[in-house]
Amino acid sequence: MRNKLLAILLVLPALVMIVLFFIVPLIASILGAFEVGDAWGLGNFRKSFELYSSDMIFTVVIVTVSTALIGLFSVAIGGYLTLGENPRAVAILRWLYRWPMFIPFIVVGQILRTFLAKNGLMNNILVSLGLLTPLQTVGFLDWRGIVIAFVWKQTPFVTLLVAGAMASLDRSTIEAARNLGASRLRILIEIVVPQIAGTLLVGLILSFVTMMSVLSVPLMINAQSPTMLTADIAFRINAHGDYGVANALGMISLILTTGVALIYLRQTMKERS
Amino acid sequence: MKTLLQASLILGLAASPAAAADLTVLTAGDQNMVDYINDYLGPLFEKENPGTTVRVVGTGPGDAGSQKIVERFDAQSKANVEKWDADVAVVHEKFAGPMVKDGYLESYRSKIASGEMVTSEKAKMALGSNVDGYVMPMFSSQTAIAYNPALIPTPPKSYEELVTWAKENPKQFGYNGIKGGASGVSFVMGWIYAFGDGDAKKLMNGPFEEAETKKWDKAFASLKDFTTNATLTPGNAGTLDMLSRGEIAMGPVWVDMFYSWQADGKLPPEMKLFLPAPGMPGQPMHYVIPAKSPNTELAEKFVALATSPKVQAEGIVKRFNWYPGIDAKFVQPELDKASWDKLFVDISPDDLSTKAKPFPIAPYNSAILEAYEKNVAN
Amino acid sequence: MMWRFDFWWLPRALILGLLAFIIFGPLTNLLLWTVAEKWYFPHMLPLEYGFSFWERVFSPRGNAMGSLATSILVASLTVVVSLALAVPAGYALSRLKLPFRGLILLAFLIPQAFPNLPVYVNIARFFYQIGLNGTVAGVVMVHVTHGLVYAVWIATAAFSAVQIDLEEAARSIGAGPLRAFRDITLPLAAPGLLASAIFVFLESLDEFTGSYFVGAPDVNTLPLLLYTASSGGNYQIASITALLLLIPSIGFMLVVERFLRADVLSKVGH
Repeated sequence: MRNKLLAILLVLPALVMIVLFFIVPLIASILGAFEVGDAWGLGNFRKSFELYSSDMIFTVVIVTVSTALIGLFSVAIGGYLTLGENPRAVAILRWLYRWPMFIPFIVVGQILRTFLAKNGLMNNILVSLGLLTPLQTVGFLDWRGIVIAFVWKQTPFVTLLVAGAMASLDRSTIEAARNLGASRLRILIEIVVPQIAGTLLVGLILSFVTMMSVLSVPLMINAQSPTMLTADIAFRINAHGDYGVANALGMISLILTTGVALIYLRQTMKERS
Repeated sequence: MKTLLQASLILGLAASPAAAADLTVLTAGDQNMVDYINDYLGPLFEKENPGTTVRVVGTGPGDAGSQKIVERFDAQSKANVEKWDADVAVVHEKFAGPMVKDGYLESYRSKIASGEMVTSEKAKMALGSNVDGYVMPMFSSQTAIAYNPALIPTPPKSYEELVTWAKENPKQFGYNGIKGGASGVSFVMGWIYAFGDGDAKKLMNGPFEEAETKKWDKAFASLKDFTTNATLTPGNAGTLDMLSRGEIAMGPVWVDMFYSWQADGKLPPEMKLFLPAPGMPGQPMHYVIPAKSPNTELAEKFVALATSPKVQAEGIVKRFNWYPGIDAKFVQPELDKASWDKLFVDISPDDLSTKAKPFPIAPYNSAILEAYEKNVAN
Repeated sequence: MMWRFDFWWLPRALILGLLAFIIFGPLTNLLLWTVAEKWYFPHMLPLEYGFSFWERVFSPRGNAMGSLATSILVASLTVVVSLALAVPAGYALSRLKLPFRGLILLAFLIPQAFPNLPVYVNIARFFYQIGLNGTVAGVVMVHVTHGLVYAVWIATAAFSAVQIDLEEAARSIGAGPLRAFRDITLPLAAPGLLASAIFVFLESLDEFTGSYFVGAPDVNTLPLLLYTASSGGNYQIASITALLLLIPSIGFMLVVERFLRADVLSKVGH
């Protein structure tokens, strides 16, 4: 019992902070989602689904694909940092991978737009190296551009977490497996990844949530419809001053992310019991 | 590290309370709006009013920038703040009406000298709502189609010819839909003026009738057709961006943005503009003064200076190639002929008087945007 | 000794080279834009180079350095407050029995999960009422609510990853609970905690919307300058500002790494 009280006391300051400075202001927004004119109703949600259901699917697919790729790359990079045997290659990789993390999203949008475009810097370099002819160039400024931007920016974030967790693993099992002749790939998949799965999951969920709420990348890279929900929210507010539908879309986005977060919570609950 | 932190701590905390003679200007719009006040108008005002400091905060381009100013006022009004933290704001036309309606603004035009130099309808009605007295136009902005004369020696002259041209040159025309900024919106509005079955004049001047909104089906069907043949660009800046890389040959842009991109070396200097018949919308940016501004008198002085013929000539026309906010006949005498004529290199004064249209009034505006989302984007 | 060629360098160089292209390609783009005076199609590289845009960014009225200092101050305070709140919370969430644990973890996620645009008006209104608008403290609060999810979630994961028997072993040889936490658990969780500090720092450094609503015009952070420039397509000014923001980010990471390495190293072999 004393233990429980202590636990509550330890969590309380952080919780008060969130509740007071975000959740209370949020409640007004949530109530706004149910306000239609002067009455209560589901009109805003009906309109959201009517106009933006394809954007909802698009958003979830884009973010899920990005999350999967981020997971894959971060395990690969983290794995090589931990298990790689050539110190020079490890050092180069360690120096290399982190840079995109420091670029704000809005700048990521800007530099990838001028990099990935049909006549952007990337294709220009590839053409001048003779790897492509001008007729073969393709622009990536559609859903692929968004995925590339997300993966580019978020992979270092997850890798940093994953590599940190891998570095603090007990090396003896790894060494033992290595001495028994297990390949490094097998060690990574069978020994290392299961032990850092919790950290990986946290990193991926945080990435998922962050990507769901980024506005600048879809605005600057992808113009086609469908687009991401954040762009629709901004549009409802800026063009129509329509907070009702914007808040309804926010609610929908919140529910989608909560669904993903629940996967993690169930996982940790299972581990604890 | 520690001393740096301490130093910045003192700096940060000491800098926060505003001095009495600080004039705070919030401005929507591009970086060049911030630069305009920082580099030109601010220093000029400080020289004329010793002891004052002008602070400017940019809130971002497009409607989103103006919306952020509205929200700021909203928050302060709902929190019953006695003195607000802004003295002057520069907002898009569309947001002036709602601000007046909510009682956020001071009626000041009759109090300043340049108030009489504005006779344009746009200073009285903003998209169908009465704003007479509450706004002074900073400059008039116009959308037009930018093109590269090297690729297109004879550009189309009207929306009809544009449609034919786009069919012959698939994906060479680009516009930013309606979610990425008002240059795309403006193109769509022009489309409805040109091809809608209703009366374009009614859309611009009101009154709002539900029946009118049913007359656009054909126009939207053809726009959907047209859009599949066009390239969709990411935003106002996105259109210019794709033009600059030669990925599209033509697209609707804001005239002021077009010129500042050229000045910044991001567009080939030979690019040109044209206005297709029957015309495309433009809108003024307005100076407004919040009713609860802490320095109302200073704010009035500031706007008076900003809209004086001299500043309109030197700052707006000569430095930026923007169309003046007050009536041209007061501005023209302040300038040499060459600077004045530079305004009309691409678009003649005749074109401007016949083809520069206002945006539809607010309810039609919303209805057209929503119809676009339903009919074209899906 | 004869020098032997290690054939593994072929695939290694290929992959590292590709990675370098992917990472530094866009960054080169950024660097080029900071000095490009003229750059348009069909030219692959800028036509003219120069520093005129640097002059604009650093013009006395532009206040770039002041904004940078404010940004660093706000970000540092945000990290301190976030970690001070998150370390006890994370420990309780990972180690102790807590009612509604899942719900609590979820609560921290909400500021990131709900698109912020519609909420900020309410926050601004609330802050105006309690007089927090236009203060450094107000901006820090807003950034903390956004940073806490990283700090708390990562701290929870980091504490969970520390084997509980190590702590129990320390307790059994007579260490008090605080001491066991300070000497055993905290150092072992340190890499995760410090990583979270980096994220909180970066999150604060990049934040625009909240800084505008709560901070401006009295507290001006660098992203306020960046946002207008970048979304309006002023590539040069945006790139220069982004480059400025790199300085504190990388500096902070280097500082953190120094601590991190010392701590991790001290544990090796124990």
